[in-house]
Amino acid sequence: MFLQRQVPLAICFVVGVVFVFQDFVPHHDSEQLLTVFTDWGIIITGFASLLGVGSLIQVHWLHIKRQNAGWGYSVVTYVAMVGTLAAGIASGGKAAPDAQTGVMPAFGWVYNYTMVPLQGTMFAILAFFVASVAFRSFRARSVDSVLLLVAAVILLVGNVPLGEAAWRWVMPEGVPGIADVGDWVMNTLNLAVRRAILIGVALGIVATSLKFILGIERGYLGGGD
Amino acid sequence: MSAEVVWTWVAAGLTLSMFSFLYRDNPFFKLGEHLYVGVTVGYMLTVTWFEYLHPKLWLPLVVGTETGHDWSLLVPAFFGLLVLTRFVPSLAWLSRWSFALLVGFGAGVSIPRYISSNILSQVEGTVVPLWAGHWGAAVTTGVILVGVISTLVYFFFSVEHRGAIRVVSRVGVYFLMVSFGASFGATVMGRNALLFGRFYDLVDFAGARYYHATLVLLAVMVVSLAVWARWAGRGGGSEAPQA
Amino acid sequence: MAMSRQVLARREVWAIIGAGVLIPIVFSIPATEVSISKGVQAVYDKVESIPPGGSLLLSFDFDPASKPELEPMGRALARHAFKRGVRVVAMGLWITGTSMAEAIVRESASEFGKVPTRDYTFLGWKPGGYLVIVEMGQDLRKTFPADFNRNPTVGMPVLDGLDSLRDFDYVVSIAAGDPGVEKWVIFGRQKHGFALGGGCTGVIQPGLYPYLQTGQLDGLIPKIRGAAEYELLLRRGHGIPEGLASAGMLSMSFAQLALVGLIVLGNVLHWRSGKGTGR
Repeated sequence: MFLQRQVPLAICFVVGVVFVFQDFVPHHDSEQLLTVFTDWGIIITGFASLLGVGSLIQVHWLHIKRQNAGWGYSVVTYVAMVGTLAAGIASGGKAAPDAQTGVMPAFGWVYNYTMVPLQGTMFAILAFFVASVAFRSFRARSVDSVLLLVAAVILLVGNVPLGEAAWRWVMPEGVPGIADVGDWVMNTLNLAVRRAILIGVALGIVATSLKFILGIERGYLGGGD
Repeated sequence: MSAEVVWTWVAAGLTLSMFSFLYRDNPFFKLGEHLYVGVTVGYMLTVTWFEYLHPKLWLPLVVGTETGHDWSLLVPAFFGLLVLTRFVPSLAWLSRWSFALLVGFGAGVSIPRYISSNILSQVEGTVVPLWAGHWGAAVTTGVILVGVISTLVYFFFSVEHRGAIRVVSRVGVYFLMVSFGASFGATVMGRNALLFGRFYDLVDFAGARYYHATLVLLAVMVVSLAVWARWAGRGGGSEAPQA
Repeated sequence: MAMSRQVLARREVWAIIGAGVLIPIVFSIPATEVSISKGVQAVYDKVESIPPGGSLLLSFDFDPASKPELEPMGRALARHAFKRGVRVVAMGLWITGTSMAEAIVRESASEFGKVPTRDYTFLGWKPGGYLVIVEMGQDLRKTFPADFNRNPTVGMPVLDGLDSLRDFDYVVSIAAGDPGVEKWVIFGRQKHGFALGGGCTGVIQPGLYPYLQTGQLDGLIPKIRGAAEYELLLRRGHGIPEGLASAGMLSMSFAQLALVGLIVLGNVLHWRSGKGTGR
C-alpha cells in the first residue's frame, strides 16, 4: 500500500512544491533543474501518448478475435495501420519527395492522399450540419436569442467581402463598415465574456493544481483511491 | 498511369466516401472511417519513433552521440516504461509513480504561469483608466469592465441570484449571448472553409488530367449506394444523420 | 420549426450551402478585396519590421482537419519572411500535422530559392504540448537535438544566436486548438517576454481577444478571412500573388450570405406560423 499510494502522493507533492517555487528563483541552477525536468517530462509524456494507441490496437484486436459485428472494418484498420507504419519505416519517417530525384515515398502518398482528405472531409461535413441546425433552431424568441442572432448575423455578413460590399451599398455614408462593427463586437463584448471565462478557468486550474500537489485530488492514481 | 493519378483516385474516392455520410451511414463511410483510424495510428507511431523516441532517447542513451552516452536519460526512460505497466493489470499501480511525476510537475509549473498570465494580466487589462483621451476608448473600456464583472457574477453560484445580483447577472447573460452569437459566426466560417478546401480538391480531381476521377467515382458511388440501399432495405441497419 | 421543415428539408439546406461553396470554384470567379483588420495588419507590420537576417519562429499547431483554414496563412507568413530575407525556424505541436507543416515550409522556401539549414529549418514535432514551449524557453537545442531531416541543431547556421525563445525576433503560433496560441502566451510569452503573434481557426478565435487587448499577443490572423487579408497585404507590399485564402472568399461569401438568408427565412416562417407572437 505504501508503494502504491504514499510514494506517488509524495512524488507529486515534492515535485509540485519544488516547481511552484522554482518560478520565483531565476538562479542558473534553478533554471537548469527546470530544463532537465521539462526534458524528462517530454519523454515520459511520449510514453503516455502510446497508451492511447495501445488501447486502440487492443480494442480492434478483440473485435477481430471475437468476430463482432463489423469486425471486417477492424481488419481494415489493422491493415491500414501496419501498411502506413511499414511505409513510414521504409522512408525513414519522411513524407517529402526526395530532394535529388523528386520521387515521393509511399509514406508521403499515404499521408497526402489518404490521411489529409479523410480527416479534412470528416470535419468539412460539419458545415452542412451547422447550416441545417441554424436554419431550424435560430429563432428570435426572446431578448437573449435576439442578441445571439444579431451578433451571429453581424459576424456572418461582416466576415465576407460580398457582405461588406452589400453593407456599404445599403448604408449611408459615414456609417462604420460591417467588418469594423464585427471587429468591435469581438474586441469588446466578446472579449469581456472570454476574459471572465479565462479568469474563472485559471482560478479553477490553480485550485485543482493545488489539490493535486496537496494530495486532495487523487484522480490520476486511478480507481480505488 | 502515373502514381499521382492513381493516388488522386484514392483521395477522390475517400473524400466522396466521407461525404456519403450525408446520405446515411453506409459501408463507404465506414470503410473510410476505419481506414482513417488505421492510417492515423500508423502515422503517429512512425512520427513518434523518428521524431521523439529515436532522437530524444534511443540515440543519446543507447547508441550514444559524440559526447558519449547520456545516462541521466535512464530516469525518464524508467518512468516512461512504468507508464506502460498499465497494460499489465497486476503491475498497473507502478504507472502511478510516472503520472504522479507528470501531474506534480505540471501543477507546479502551471500555478505561477496561470496566475501571472490569465489572472493578473487579465485583471490589469480590465482595470485601466476610463479616460484615455477620447470617448470611443472610454466607452469600450467601460463596456469591457461591465461585461467582465457581470459575466463573473453570472457564474458565481455561491450566492443566490436575487435583487442587485440578479440584475447584474442578467446583464452578464446578455453579454454571454452576444459572445455565443459571435462565436457561432466565426465557427461557421471555419467550417465553410473546410468545405471549400475539400470541394476545391474535388473540382481539381474532376479535371481531364486525372481522367475525371471525381465524376467517375461519384457516379459509381451513387449507383453502388442505390444498390446497397435496395439490398439493405430502407429501415435496416444504418441511420440517416440527424441535424 | 415544423413549417420551416415543410418549406425546406435538411438536405435542401445542405444543397444550398454546398452550391454556395462550389459554384465560385467551378467557374473560377474572383472575389472582391477584403478590408484589413488591425490584428492582421499588426502581424504583417511586425514581420515587416524584422531586419533581413533576423529570425521568425513559426509553430504549426494544427493538423489536416484545419488545413484549408490555416495552411494559407502558414504559407503567407513563410513567403513574407523568405521574401524579406528573414531566417525561418518552423516546428509543430500537433503530431498529425507534422508532414503538412514540413511541406508548407519546404515549398515556400523553394519558391524563393532558400537553402535548408542555412536560411530555414523545420525542427519537427515533439510530444508534451506546453512542455515543449517551456523547454524551448530554456534551451532550444536540448528540445530539438536535430531537425526533421536529422541535421544536428548544434552548429546549424540558421540557428546561429538562437538559443532560446527570447532570442527570436518574432514568434507566431498558427493554431487550431490546444496546444496552441494560448499555451504559447501562458508558458512562453509570459515568462520570456518575446514578441508573439497568432493565427487561428474560427472556433478558437473568440477566446484569444483577451490576450490581444493586454498586448500578450501583438497581432492575430483569424481564420481563412485573416489569411486572405494577409495575402492581400503581401500582394500590395511585395507583389506576391494571392493564394487559396483569397480564392475562397467568394465561396465564403455565397455560403454565409445564403445561411443568413436561411436564418431570416426560418424566422419569418416561424413568426408567420403564429408561434413567435405567442398565438
